[in-house]
Amino acid sequence: MNHPPKLGTKIAMYVILIAATLFALYPIWFAVLAAGRPGDRLYTFNLAGMFLPVQWTWDNLRALLTETSFLTWIRNSLMVASLTAITALFIGTSAAFAFSRFKFYGRRGGLTLFLAIQAFPGILSLVAIAQILAAIGLYANHLGLIMAYLAGTLVFVTWNLKGYFDTIPVDLEEAAQIDGCGPIDSFVRIALPLARPALAVTALFGFMAGWGEFFLANILIPAPDAKKTAMVGLFQMANEVNIPWGRFASGAVLILIPVVLIFLWLQRYLESGLTVGGVKG
Amino acid sequence: MIGWTGRRKSFTILAFILPTLLAITIFSVYPFVFNAFISLTNRSKFRPNPDCSQTIWRIVEPTCWLSTEQRGMAEPFSFNDPIYKNYSDLLGGLFTKESVLALLTIGAIVAPLIVAGVVNGRLGKRLWRPVPGWAVWLAGLIVAVVLAWLLGLGDAYNTLLESGDFIMVNIRTVMYVIVCIPLFFILGLTMALILNNDYIRGRTFFRVVLIVPWAASTVAIMMSLIWQFFFRGNGTINQILANFGIQGPTYLNEDWWSFAIVVLVNLWYTYPFFMVIILGGLQSITPDLYEAADVDGASWWQQLTNITLPLLRPAILPAIVLSTLTTYKVDAVVWGITKGGPVKGAGLPGFTEFVMVHAYKQIFQTQAFGRMGAFAVILFVGLFAATLYSLRITRLTEGAYE
Repeated sequence: MNHPPKLGTKIAMYVILIAATLFALYPIWFAVLAAGRPGDRLYTFNLAGMFLPVQWTWDNLRALLTETSFLTWIRNSLMVASLTAITALFIGTSAAFAFSRFKFYGRRGGLTLFLAIQAFPGILSLVAIAQILAAIGLYANHLGLIMAYLAGTLVFVTWNLKGYFDTIPVDLEEAAQIDGCGPIDSFVRIALPLARPALAVTALFGFMAGWGEFFLANILIPAPDAKKTAMVGLFQMANEVNIPWGRFASGAVLILIPVVLIFLWLQRYLESGLTVGGVKG
Repeated sequence: MIGWTGRRKSFTILAFILPTLLAITIFSVYPFVFNAFISLTNRSKFRPNPDCSQTIWRIVEPTCWLSTEQRGMAEPFSFNDPIYKNYSDLLGGLFTKESVLALLTIGAIVAPLIVAGVVNGRLGKRLWRPVPGWAVWLAGLIVAVVLAWLLGLGDAYNTLLESGDFIMVNIRTVMYVIVCIPLFFILGLTMALILNNDYIRGRTFFRVVLIVPWAASTVAIMMSLIWQFFFRGNGTINQILANFGIQGPTYLNEDWWSFAIVVLVNLWYTYPFFMVIILGGLQSITPDLYEAADVDGASWWQQLTNITLPLLRPAILPAIVLSTLTTYKVDAVVWGITKGGPVKGAGLPGFTEFVMVHAYKQIFQTQAFGRMGAFAVILFVGLFAATLYSLRITRLTEGAYE
């Protein structure tokens, strides 16, 4: 339906586009404004201050970095999320390859099991997970949290990479097989190098899932403050009696910006990953 | 396919998948089985500990693995009598005479719409339709509204709400899904159609900017807190209103305001996903079809309903199914904004306390472990069935199994 639109239609389209842009960006812009507002206040009685940075201060950011454990939380989150992603990739890639390439008894059942796990929210098995972790002494421990995340991330990684391996033609491996290349060699020497970009993208998605997770982290690491992840730490900051809005907003912006940038860079893969892997987290 | 056989093949395949299988068994399958056992007991805040002298708990219960010593002063939990007590507590309300009647009433009210859909599908296959599609839908809708008025939809709804927390929470969640999904779709479609127009400038820019909320949804819990500030009693919206001398309500203390806000914020997060999917679908439609339609003098609306929407179907259907399931399981968005409130009366679920929020609150505030185990099992059965069914209708994994 690509005719040159009538002038009225065109203006209406631009108005809708601009309204949608404001709708999309204002909440984030608002957080930026709150981060720079003096006096740790969420709002201002000055109407212009709701939309423009009429006053600006770095005090909130400074206070956040020096007076709270924010940097420790960030470090914890980085560690947990990246270790989860790397471990899941390390374990899951070979399974994905097997599910994509080999025919074996229980393969269909295994794939259905993965779907079942994907459908079932992790919160509901939290009691059991917490008890296992308590029994092996990993409750309130980052390692335990990583293990709890691992199950969900593994399913995502395996499905996603299986979808990718399915798109690599098997001809190369068959040619190599004639030359005497076994299944392990064809996995390590042929499929893995070809899948390198998919591995990176999958790892980043796994990382972002761990980075933004709140419920499991909140329960499995209740204390101390220095062990919390960034989401839990900031959430608690926003639920204190006298909420330090400015600091909270600074922290929110600091967490948000890298996520948005990574996501925008990844989104072209997301579309194809969605049709290939077929499962969105 | 790689053709080697025998024992070596089995070992190799096992080596490939064993680590994954092991991790999933420990952290997904085992917790679920454990949950299923707990769902048969009266485990709660007051009876938190197992009786490790019983063989079954020595095997299933992690706290019994290292020592069988009795923990705590409280009496250990035990199997319920009858054993399905938690399940009947959760679902029992559905099987009373009043609830069955209410369910039948609601079914009767929805039936005309389903009939309209079926009739429309039949008519669509004919070359010439005696009545336009909208007329069929309108007729169905009118019959539904008349029936709702005659049979008393409100009474039926209230009866169901009173038949138990689990059912109440589920009804509200389903209501939430029914409100959300069409909004996601309509807004996503509108924006995709605009962005697909070649005569609009800066489309790449707008496309990137408009998906920023989707990106923000990876840290949904924190972004929802920022949204919450808008709607506090003296939050942003009311501050802006105050500048014009208007005193706004305390949005988060009012049932329908909270509901609308949670819908709005989820719309903010999710419609870009629809927009991107629909945009991809639009770009795969060949322009020839529209040219041919132009020659035949088809209006913009006719082109939309007869070309665009039918051809978008394979792209949109999986997206709708997928987000129906994720919307049903909504958690962080609601937790950040209302925490399931507003709560009217102690022990009652709040107005926006959807399924996952309810589960979280029950497990970690009420600590009714046994009942929540049953809750989890019921949800699992429902969600798994829904997933399998959705795979059938969308053929999402067509080829993925091969």
